[in-house]
Amino acid sequence: MDFSTSLALIAPELVLSLSGLVLLLVAAWAGDRSARVVSVLACVALGAAFALCIPVVSGGLAGPDRIAFDGQFRADAFASLAKLMIYAASLAALILAPAFLERIRSMRAEYPVLVLFSAVGMSIMVSATDLLTLYIGLEMQSLAAYVLASFVRDNTRSAEAGLKYFVLGSLASGILLFGMSLTYGFTGSTAFDAIGVAVSGELNTGALFGLVFVLAGLAFKISAVPFHMWTPDVYEGAPTPVTAFFASAPKVAAIALLTRVLMEAFGGQVEAWRQIVVFLALASIVVGALGAIGQDNVKRLLAYSSINNVGFILIGVAVASTQGVSAMLVYLAIYVPMTIAGFVAVLMLRDGAGDPVERIADLSGLSRVRPAVAWCLMIVMFSLAGIPPMFGFWGKFVVFQAAVQADMVVLAAIGIAASVIGAFYYLKIVKVMFMDEPAGVIEPAGGQPGNASLGALLAICTLMISPFGFLATGWLGALADRAAASLLLLA
Amino acid sequence: MVDLSQYLPILIFLVIAVGLSAAFVFLPMGVARLTGAHKPNAEKLSEYECGFPAFEDPRSQFDVRFYLIAILFIVFDLEAAFLFPWAVSLDLTGWPGWITMMVFLFELAIGLAYAWKKGALEWD
Amino acid sequence: MIGVEHYVVVSSILFVLGVLGIFLNRKNIIVILMAIELILLAVNLNLVAFSAFLGDLTGQIFAMFVLTVAAGEAAIGLAILVIYFRGRGTIAVDDVNRMKG
Repeated sequence: MDFSTSLALIAPELVLSLSGLVLLLVAAWAGDRSARVVSVLACVALGAAFALCIPVVSGGLAGPDRIAFDGQFRADAFASLAKLMIYAASLAALILAPAFLERIRSMRAEYPVLVLFSAVGMSIMVSATDLLTLYIGLEMQSLAAYVLASFVRDNTRSAEAGLKYFVLGSLASGILLFGMSLTYGFTGSTAFDAIGVAVSGELNTGALFGLVFVLAGLAFKISAVPFHMWTPDVYEGAPTPVTAFFASAPKVAAIALLTRVLMEAFGGQVEAWRQIVVFLALASIVVGALGAIGQDNVKRLLAYSSINNVGFILIGVAVASTQGVSAMLVYLAIYVPMTIAGFVAVLMLRDGAGDPVERIADLSGLSRVRPAVAWCLMIVMFSLAGIPPMFGFWGKFVVFQAAVQADMVVLAAIGIAASVIGAFYYLKIVKVMFMDEPAGVIEPAGGQPGNASLGALLAICTLMISPFGFLATGWLGALADRAAASLLLLA
Repeated sequence: MVDLSQYLPILIFLVIAVGLSAAFVFLPMGVARLTGAHKPNAEKLSEYECGFPAFEDPRSQFDVRFYLIAILFIVFDLEAAFLFPWAVSLDLTGWPGWITMMVFLFELAIGLAYAWKKGALEWD
Repeated sequence: MIGVEHYVVVSSILFVLGVLGIFLNRKNIIVILMAIELILLAVNLNLVAFSAFLGDLTGQIFAMFVLTVAAGEAAIGLAILVIYFRGRGTIAVDDVNRMKG
């Protein structure tokens, strides 16, 4: 494998990092006046990277041809499908930001640059086939994300969110690294395939500890229970466009990464990690559903709902088969537009002074003040609850189907029971929006700047999770199946 | 089983070190108690700073500009650590290795240019 | 003879101290940053020890990457801390409570 072939395989990452570097210089020399231009150029770069990944996904490319840099990096269909979701979510984060940040005079030209660098990091994460690449990608994503969380510098809540995210994120990285060092020491290699060979017989205690620490560190990153406590605070404090970004792209990246580590490096020891993943899944589903009850802030509610969703996604991982991975990818593909739509809807609501509205009580009577937003939010809530006509149901369905076919009926049953508990709270929000008297806090739709792009984004995301989404099930399923097959091909 | 006898030197060292430091602390206290008059009052127990009450918190803040320069120094200094293993193994890595390091240095240069333009290196 | 297990024990102790330092510290966020550094150094000790005992260079290269990333992480952590201090005027851990949780 020579150098130029490797470079061709990392074309999406090259496009993103080169444009990130150039835009960084533009941001420095042209100043914050150029924020809009830099944002547009960053969107173009993300679009180009997206386009570069499409042939890999549609062709289901896999195998030794897709390995770059002597096994450090693999650009197969699985990674590329995850990259498509990551780039799309990053694009949404770029589109959302100007309307929110310009109003509080915090839109800086560095915002799109940071999102680009974070996207490069996530891209490296999902393609990593070596612990070293994994670590570099993860840190690149995290370091950019810490800055994004505290991006509104004069807002103490944003700074506090950044601080909490930083402390717990670094702790997670430390735990993950400790696990990686043990894995390296007791298997003798940092490459996933070599680790896979080393643990194929008997798993020694040292490598088992390594596995447990790696799992704990990654569970932090995907905010699975019991490592979820930072999520509601960070989601509440961070600027809303950044929260939308955190809830979508890094989750996809970390879950894809987790799946690759478990299936490739520890694929021969499924029994060793399955019980841990099952525990994480069930705890996340239950705590996510129960924690949502009693929240009065919409962003905190959506944080708990993302914890809840991570639990369902982990069921797909726990199944540990092609079908399970495919179900997980389908769920992720539905989860991303669902969660972005939720945050966009929240972003569109403003009170009389133009400040963002975040309290659930203020949503009452929304159907009369902002009917379009209320209907979209209703579709999001039904979809999050997994109520059948909405597409969110399909994600839960494929995951449970995979679990049942793998004889994990109990897991599926507990999951379904917990999703009923969760549904209660989502339905209560719909009730508040449609049945209650208007609270008089939210302003009717007016000429707020940037509302057109927000509205378009909301419409697109809502359309994806509406019943029309079922038209795409066959196509989505085929793509996910091919991607899952490419992951397990070399394992 | 770990052979503990090989740790004997460090044990001896610790015993001597702890014993000596304890003697330095407690011996003067004991001697003073035995020989001197023990009559404390408020003036004697108050903190001593050249006859004045303390003006400010001794852990005062120092200029944030030191911190900015120090952080930039640490980052660039540590990134340069990659140059040493790269330099000694250049005959093994060849042109790809050379190109990679040049790209890396170019990125560092962009970072430096950004910091410069943003005024992070200005003292005033 | 000091074997690899001794190094693992020492690095595990350092790691646990670092984690405890994050959770038990009630005073100052700077201490948390130091605890994070301690965790990363424990990892580095592990990596270098394994690298020496396995006769494999990967661990040392890994340790180098960890060092550089740790520098970047500390820089960003301190920057966020300064922003926080400007807004709140304190860096005591108990005051990080604008949001419940």
